[in-house]
Amino acid sequence: MSALGHHLEEAGIATVAIALIRPQAENTRPPRALWVPFELGRPIGPPSDPAFQRRVILGALGMLVEGGGPVRIADFPDDDPREGPDRNWQAPPSIRPNPAPRAGAGAALAETVEAELRALAPAYAASCTRRERSTVGLSGLAPAACGEYLAVWLRGERPASPVGDMSPGLALRFALDDLKAYALEAALSPGSRPSSRQLGDWLWKDTALGAAVQALRRDFLAGDDDRLKQLAFFFVPALRVPPAG
Amino acid sequence: MRLEKLPADYAKRLSALECPAFTTTPWVAGKPLDQRRVAIVSSAGLTVRGDRVFRGRDADYRTIPSTTQANDLLCSHISINFDRNGFQEDWNVVFPLDRLNELAVQGRIGSVAATHYSFMGATDPVQMVEGAVDVAGRLKADHVDAVLLTSV
Repeated sequence: MSALGHHLEEAGIATVAIALIRPQAENTRPPRALWVPFELGRPIGPPSDPAFQRRVILGALGMLVEGGGPVRIADFPDDDPREGPDRNWQAPPSIRPNPAPRAGAGAALAETVEAELRALAPAYAASCTRRERSTVGLSGLAPAACGEYLAVWLRGERPASPVGDMSPGLALRFALDDLKAYALEAALSPGSRPSSRQLGDWLWKDTALGAAVQALRRDFLAGDDDRLKQLAFFFVPALRVPPAG
Repeated sequence: MRLEKLPADYAKRLSALECPAFTTTPWVAGKPLDQRRVAIVSSAGLTVRGDRVFRGRDADYRTIPSTTQANDLLCSHISINFDRNGFQEDWNVVFPLDRLNELAVQGRIGSVAATHYSFMGATDPVQMVEGAVDVAGRLKADHVDAVLLTSV
């Protein structure tokens, strides 16, 4: 991102970057950057907090009319107030596979995931209606179709791509992204303010979907198809990979 | 990100990511903020619903008109190692268009660009130069003189 700032500024347009990883900004030496202490993925800070977000934006844009450059890196002083858990948040219905599958994926897990996705449908629909929005849509498949496609893979089959201009692997990656978004949006219950950690703990520890994605990852990494091995690295966040995974 | 909150080896990996080195240090001064036209350029792999999602490490860019609604913005970044819950709850966490529009109405900034842009941040920056030059031309045509760069 800081590199883009360099090129735009070279072209005569003033830029300021919001930097999440300070050492990277220091190494790239952009014209201006405001380092923010928020977690990766949240450059403007807490969701649903317009006043805080405005402070971040004005903090950054304000650097455009200050001197001190070239190469100026400032620090935003405040942490994300949404970092802590919301004790009142209640997770939507999920099905924790019991016992959790230890090796490989299977038909039983596929059935469990599809049942869980159906159980989450009312919460997802309500969440979309309330927020007038969804971020599901990368694969181009409806959530139920994403679930069916995942189930086929879990049963050990190697299906054709259900998306015309995507390879089977690319379609799977985006279908998994869509399913994770579907579940996490279902978990945005009215009036609650869950932290990303709470939501992540629920997805990866308490849902069949999380277990299925982990199982598929293990299965692909243990297999002999190099393309699937590469693909598997884009399934589970590094900090959610089990130590032995 | 407070790197000290992450496992040490992971924080070290993030800190040590290779960054491009430049021989020049450009610096453009300009008008007061309330006279500036502001655009967002994001490296979050954002695409408007119906547009081509980023695949892998595409080096090109996507346009995001200012008329885009929150329901029509998707994040197709290849990395899974950043939070998406914030964006799912409120697009302004990544793409603060509502906030910019409010600041324009309040007179804190001059105006908001007609079009914003997104790249895929995981792409080799050298490969993004062509796109960056192209975006610079488009921004100038839109009379933009301030860019807020956001990454994830």
